Amino acid sequence: MKTLLRNRKALVGLAIIATIAILAIAAPLLTEYNPATRTGRPHQAPSMDHILGTTRIGQDVFARVLYGARTSLMVGFGAGLLITLVGTVLGIVAGYRGGKTDEVISFFTNMVLVVPNLPLLLVLAAFIGQASPVVIALILGATSWAWGARVTRAETLSVKQKDFVKSAEMMGERQWRIMAFEIFPNVISIVGINFIGSVIFAIITQATLEFLGLGDPRAISWGNMLFAAQKASALSVGAWWEILTPCFALAFLGIGMSLLNFAVDEIANPRLRTGNRLGRWSLLVRNGEGRL
Amino acid sequence: MNQPLLSVKNLTIDYIGDETDFRAVDNVSFDVAPGEVFGLAGESGCGKSTIAFAISRLHRPPALIRTGSEILLDSREVLDLNPQELAAFRWREVAMVFQSAMNSLNPVLRVEAQFYDVLKTHLGMTKAQARERTAEMLKLVDINPDRMRDYPHQFSGGMRQRIVIAICLALGPKMVVMDEPTTALDVVVQREILQRINELRKKLGFSVLFITHDLGLMVQFCDRIGIMLGGKLVEQNTAQAIYRTPQHDYTKKLWASFPSLHGGVLA
Amino acid sequence: MAFLFRRLAFYLAAFLAAATINFFLPRLMPGDPIQLMFSSAGAELPPESLEALKLTFGFVDGPLWQQYLTYLGSIFTGDLGRSIKYFPLPVTSVLGHALIWTLVLMGTATIISFILGTWLGVMAAWKRGSRFDVIVSVSAIFATSVPAVVTSLIVLFVFGFTLDWFPNGYAADPSLDPAFTLQYISSVAYHGVLPMVTLCTVLIGGFTVTMRNNMINLLGEDYIVMARAKGLSDRRVMLWYAARNALLPTVSSLAIAIGTILGGSLVTEVVFNYPGLGNVLYQAILARDYPVIQGQLLIMTATMLVANFIVDVSYVLLDPRLKAA
Repeated sequence: MKTLLRNRKALVGLAIIATIAILAIAAPLLTEYNPATRTGRPHQAPSMDHILGTTRIGQDVFARVLYGARTSLMVGFGAGLLITLVGTVLGIVAGYRGGKTDEVISFFTNMVLVVPNLPLLLVLAAFIGQASPVVIALILGATSWAWGARVTRAETLSVKQKDFVKSAEMMGERQWRIMAFEIFPNVISIVGINFIGSVIFAIITQATLEFLGLGDPRAISWGNMLFAAQKASALSVGAWWEILTPCFALAFLGIGMSLLNFAVDEIANPRLRTGNRLGRWSLLVRNGEGRL
Repeated sequence: MNQPLLSVKNLTIDYIGDETDFRAVDNVSFDVAPGEVFGLAGESGCGKSTIAFAISRLHRPPALIRTGSEILLDSREVLDLNPQELAAFRWREVAMVFQSAMNSLNPVLRVEAQFYDVLKTHLGMTKAQARERTAEMLKLVDINPDRMRDYPHQFSGGMRQRIVIAICLALGPKMVVMDEPTTALDVVVQREILQRINELRKKLGFSVLFITHDLGLMVQFCDRIGIMLGGKLVEQNTAQAIYRTPQHDYTKKLWASFPSLHGGVLA
Repeated sequence: MAFLFRRLAFYLAAFLAAATINFFLPRLMPGDPIQLMFSSAGAELPPESLEALKLTFGFVDGPLWQQYLTYLGSIFTGDLGRSIKYFPLPVTSVLGHALIWTLVLMGTATIISFILGTWLGVMAAWKRGSRFDVIVSVSAIFATSVPAVVTSLIVLFVFGFTLDWFPNGYAADPSLDPAFTLQYISSVAYHGVLPMVTLCTVLIGGFTVTMRNNMINLLGEDYIVMARAKGLSDRRVMLWYAARNALLPTVSSLAIAIGTILGGSLVTEVVFNYPGLGNVLYQAILARDYPVIQGQLLIMTATMLVANFIVDVSYVLLDPRLKAA
């Protein structure tokens, strides 16, 4: 955690996510409008009354983007947690148990990896019909764990060879205890990377599914804002604020999460770090204190 | 000693960190005479590989060779070479065998190609000339020249290391730096390779800078030995003196940690 | 060779899995599956067509396994039923036509961004910590983190609507007849610019980052250091020793990325009103045209499997260690 806070990318990323979270929580304090109801004339440009304008049916865009952040964050972190949970459990069990268990789990993992994710989600969502954010989070959790399972399994295989696992086995420790208390803490960096990646994936995918018209249109979320704007041909009629607002919100959140992702990657793999030692190095060379 | 081939003077190397630097090599000086085998011993992390890298100037940032350090090969300052001179100097004057026998050859290029790029770069040979030279070099290390079109993974670890040695000698260098050349190999292969290097050295007359943590092996193979501890060269002397009358406490400790030594000096 | 045969068998199993999902999904939903699947057909479909459609999807009298076999039978004879929205067009021809546009768009964008992204990654890793590396890495982070929907919409807004440099929709000028004429082809190219730029923006960052990380991990390998010690030119070391080896994991990550590429391409097509699979699918979703929605999963899976197989083959060609195995 300390190393995380010393990394500049991580700090900026965390700051972005925290800002969005605070705005989402404080939404009722920041706007007087109800995001779901009509509060003004349709397609009004940004003004003092509606700082980010209104939608085609006269909802306040600023209120919708604030409340929508709640949905994006909850689905993102909820589904991310679910995806990571399934992936981690399957990965550790497959990697540690080996044999038939591993064969079966790996076969399914590889299978899920080659069935394209978005088309699969489209079919699922289409049959479920008007999927609410919670349902979207659930189906994401059910279908998107494969990558995490694969990398966790690979990591487990190498941890399994370590002496402390062997000695726990010699002492007759139960299998689930070894997996939970010996293996899991040692694959935690992979789990972390998996979690952040899954959150990003969930946020993007939820927005995409809703944009394609598979969400519950009553839910207030960024994806639904895009869907409504696209259906209202917002760009053609010049109502750019209706479409650009959720766009920038999504981009902002995405960038925050990715910065965090890269920071964790760098911490887990020190070779990727650049840090300021290279800056110090160049300075020393310029000052004639050394060379290569 | 007459004119040394390699002369390292006051060599100091830091690894630059985010806030503080790590001094990997601290004011080290030693000479290697033409045809001599000089050994650097010490546990891992003591800076011996860092010295090896510095001689061919292979370091990358954040490693930094401090001003005041000198590396002279045949009285020429290696640290002053410009990029063209450096490219010509590498391998032609100093060739290197690296730590892991398994990983020194590019897995996706044929053995032949890994000879050819040296022979072409330095001697401007054509493919046909290079093939002839490759065959000659492979025979020198007892590898069937017909296998030059194979890939590295098709050879055993010992064979791969012999191929690396053959590539090393392809340009007739004045010096070969060997950084733990046999660590990854089993004892029998290890001995066989060192014997082969020794024969070739007598025949071709190059010097060897031999680096290992295995003091026992070193005493059999080297003329003179330097002992390193925490980046400093704490003792240097003839192999016999290091073996029979170690001066520094650390050298004595190193010997104490060894099981008693059988087998004499390598012929 | 054995390796490739094993992969083929695996792909067949994966395709079967996609078909199985299609078969069970309507049957697992609450309510009558027939009612669910064909509700949008309404009175527009002649009754005998509806019967034929039911047969295709395995709704026959008899136990479940018999229904399943009937469904697999239709799939493996290439019968994916008929579209309800575009009745009486068969699903295969609705999707087949769209697939060509998608493959052109996606294929070109993948090739361009793979080459460009890989090259940027190689250079960034080689000049580690330089200004070039910082700029490339940071831009790659931005490019990968923005969802394809957002990139498409912003590109459309800026270059399509505000600057009005490029058309806002369609794959070609609708007044032109499709033909191999210079006029038609240049119209296709002109219309393709924005979706292509969008897709490349979405994809390039991933390739750059993967390649950069792979390269950096490899630069400490002994064979790279030995190549430098050999006095080879930087160019030769970078391309033939470092990049050549770093390409292997990059190619295998390409196989996993294909799913994401497909997804990105679907969304981009919807935004740019491009007549590919994405757009057809969007229309199908709005119309609840289930035969088309199910058909796209099969066609997408097949596309993905073919792409994976191509990646497998190129992996074998690139890595001599696999050829012998």
